[in-house]
Amino acid sequence: MRLSLRSSRAWDGTVLAAAASLAFLGGLAMCSATSAVNPQLGLRHATWIALGLALSFVVARLSPQRWMDAAGVAYGLTVSALALLLGAGAVRLGATRWLSVFGLSLQPSELMKLTTITLLARYLAGQPRPLPLRAVGVSLLMASVPALLIFLQPDLGSASIFGAIWVGMVWMAGGSPRLFTGIAASLLALLPIGWHLLHDYQRDRLLVFVNPHADPLGAGYTIIQSVIAIGSGQWLGRGWFAGTQNQLSFLPERHSDFIFSVIGEEWGFAGSAAVVALFGMLLGRTLHIARELSDPQGRLFLAGICAWLGYQVFVNIGMVMGLVPVVGVPLPLISYGGSSMITVWMALGLLQSLRRWEVHE
Amino acid sequence: MTARFVRLQVILFLALGLLVVRLAHLQLVRGAYYRRLAEQNRLRLVPEPAPRGLIVDRRGRLLASNQTVFRVAIVPQELEDFPAVIQHVSALAHRPPDALKREYRRERSLAFMPATVVSYVPKDVAIRLEETRWKFPGLLVKPETVRHYPGGSSAAHLLGYLSQPTAEELPALKPYGVRPQHLVGRTGLERLLDQELRGRPGGLMVEVDHRARQVRVIGRRAPEAGAQVTLALDAPLQSLIEQAFGTQPGGCVVLDPETGEVLAMVSVPAFPPEAFIGPNTSVVRSLLDDPRAPLMNRATVGVYLPGSILKLVTASAALEAHVITPATTMGCPGSLTIGDRVFHCWNLDGHGPMTLRDALVQSCNVYFMQVGRRLGLKRLRAALEAVGFSRRTGWPLEEQRGHLPDRHLTEGEVAMLAMGQGEVLVTVLQGAVMAAAFANHGWAVEPWVVREIDHRPLPRRPSRRRIPWSPETLEVVRAGMEAVVQDPNGTGHRAFSPLVSVAGKTGTAQTHLPGKTHGWFVGFCPVDHPRAAMAVLAEYGGSGGDLPAEIARSVCEYVAAPEAL
Repeated sequence: MRLSLRSSRAWDGTVLAAAASLAFLGGLAMCSATSAVNPQLGLRHATWIALGLALSFVVARLSPQRWMDAAGVAYGLTVSALALLLGAGAVRLGATRWLSVFGLSLQPSELMKLTTITLLARYLAGQPRPLPLRAVGVSLLMASVPALLIFLQPDLGSASIFGAIWVGMVWMAGGSPRLFTGIAASLLALLPIGWHLLHDYQRDRLLVFVNPHADPLGAGYTIIQSVIAIGSGQWLGRGWFAGTQNQLSFLPERHSDFIFSVIGEEWGFAGSAAVVALFGMLLGRTLHIARELSDPQGRLFLAGICAWLGYQVFVNIGMVMGLVPVVGVPLPLISYGGSSMITVWMALGLLQSLRRWEVHE
Repeated sequence: MTARFVRLQVILFLALGLLVVRLAHLQLVRGAYYRRLAEQNRLRLVPEPAPRGLIVDRRGRLLASNQTVFRVAIVPQELEDFPAVIQHVSALAHRPPDALKREYRRERSLAFMPATVVSYVPKDVAIRLEETRWKFPGLLVKPETVRHYPGGSSAAHLLGYLSQPTAEELPALKPYGVRPQHLVGRTGLERLLDQELRGRPGGLMVEVDHRARQVRVIGRRAPEAGAQVTLALDAPLQSLIEQAFGTQPGGCVVLDPETGEVLAMVSVPAFPPEAFIGPNTSVVRSLLDDPRAPLMNRATVGVYLPGSILKLVTASAALEAHVITPATTMGCPGSLTIGDRVFHCWNLDGHGPMTLRDALVQSCNVYFMQVGRRLGLKRLRAALEAVGFSRRTGWPLEEQRGHLPDRHLTEGEVAMLAMGQGEVLVTVLQGAVMAAAFANHGWAVEPWVVREIDHRPLPRRPSRRRIPWSPETLEVVRAGMEAVVQDPNGTGHRAFSPLVSVAGKTGTAQTHLPGKTHGWFVGFCPVDHPRAAMAVLAEYGGSGGDLPAEIARSVCEYVAAPEAL
């Protein structure tokens, strides 16, 4: 496939359209979700979208090689930020996830996803195929250092994302299927030990996933209310600003992790299926672009992005519908949160830069 | 790599497809059901309170427990003849019908939620109401557990009391499942350990119909009882001391001198903690208005002039500084002139020539004033701080630090301070810590009282502070303390017991009220292997050699019994 120089400067239309539509729909849902609590949040959310979009255009102009060369430094910086956070971060919601810089709260774990993917792409691209065991070990270490730091925050959800990223990228780099079955088996064996490492609330959430009716007042309450909200949307939803579950504050965390239940309630099957379809479009197109790239680093990078975003989309939407346990994972481009929003847009900007450079070569 | 990309694409679309299938199931297949739940807001939470944790003493004797009381309630959705029900309850529970109606209107919330109209009825009334209930649809007698203090007002200041949370506190407590009608610890251990004692309330989530009548139970979380708290306190010793005080206001603390465990902490007058639970505001009002301040813990929050118990510290500091020896003799002519002021000894005729031992036994003021002059303010103050005066003892509940002068004192003022008068205030708890330090050869212990929570011992804090006094000094002062009680002329002879060896020191502190003195006794027993160190204070209670010394003897005889503690 050859693109003319002019169009190569432009964005990939499908990716941009899908991402912008998702952010736009998310913004509309956000206005409705926050109106009762703090209408200011809607405005702030819009600012983050604008900032992210602008940043993605800046990133798209960079040479991808420059980004790839900085992978080690960026990874080191974000890991240190996480370590610093564990030491001295502000304690919020019982977890230390934010780093305050000049009055701005940053969540380094979000940026960490991007830097880890870059480092893994760079490292794995240089490995022979089939992947030697040593490379599997080194890459696992690269993913598990940030995962461990984030798990200690404690944030089980974000930590698990690194598992998904690693699996996706190593598989794409030629890890043998036997490797993955082996890992799955040993994880199962380690499960009882892991259970002990979990916090009480995390255990509660897993138990509640098995039977949400076991704790209707605590963790189960969220799932029950969220499922009711989504189900009550039926075909076309109850209308923007008209969801009773949302507007009457039955939905906890509805502007962050549970934003999808607002979409389901107010826009019904039509709206929520459309959001899922837009994610399908975005991720499908990303994989398509990855396949067309000749640079293995770029291919691995995009595979990592897909594993990351795909995992978050599946876990978040699955969670609000009671399909997977409640782990705090935001819905990319839609959930409230500046760090997450900006990181996703930066990833999309890099996608564009990779695609553009490929054509230039 | 391409083959793997294809597979990744397949996985991606399968996963998203699964989400759409689930969406379709929730919204299209079951949509009508969920719409009804949401639209009519048909889920209700019915709380089930958790029983509060017990508080027991060192032998497992109940100090705070839970008791079943019977409340009379009316279930709105079952009500058929409201006036008849009111009439019936009014007749049996002896409440005016108007009050019952007012209560019902105030408490009524949801159709299926019982509205309490009488919060407490005796058991026999409850049984009679229950027997006749079938004739009055909507009437309900519900048993409920409330906090109960088997010892009445015993150890009330230490245990504290519960009351309903205020509007300001509620937001912070809400995440723990606390609701406005729940009780939270307000003072004492009930407040300090509120989180442990509280447990976790459970509840039902029920689906209700459009008239708010329960259709079915959707989920239930069983309440979790609060943790049991085991104290180091000894309940019989506690009530023994309380009874010994009678109506005399005062305070007393008994410590295990080795560990710092509080064996008894008495403050008289006390209050019944249960008074704060119910809606009976008149009792609470009378407690708050009582001029004798029964809510104040005289053992930790009251600060008092120490009087002659402070002479133990003066003596130790003087021996350490070598300004006296045990053999130093000074005459007491009955008064001492410093500058142009004349200071009288309590024995106006004079004690004659005295050694340190004699001066302690007789509590001679002139002797200690002279010692104070030799010692000087700096060394005296350092010694007083070393035994913990004007410092926090580390007690986990509310306590006062007391006071030591931080300005320059005249020579006369220093002499007064050396005998425990003037600008110095201590708490009874500080007095007990000082007594413990003499009992255990110079270690200032940190007092504590909670031994176990939920049958797990707390990490015991062996926090002790060494007072920099030599064993010889301590031995001399201890011998003096023993003589105070043993010697027939000793001021503390009333603490003497043929059953157990007691050491101590009395104090009679002049107050701003002429002729009124605080009586003190600090001491420990048995002398060889002390098991208890104590401070007893009788507020405006005359001489320390009278009631306080007698209370000390009772404590020592109790502690010495082989089966005690």
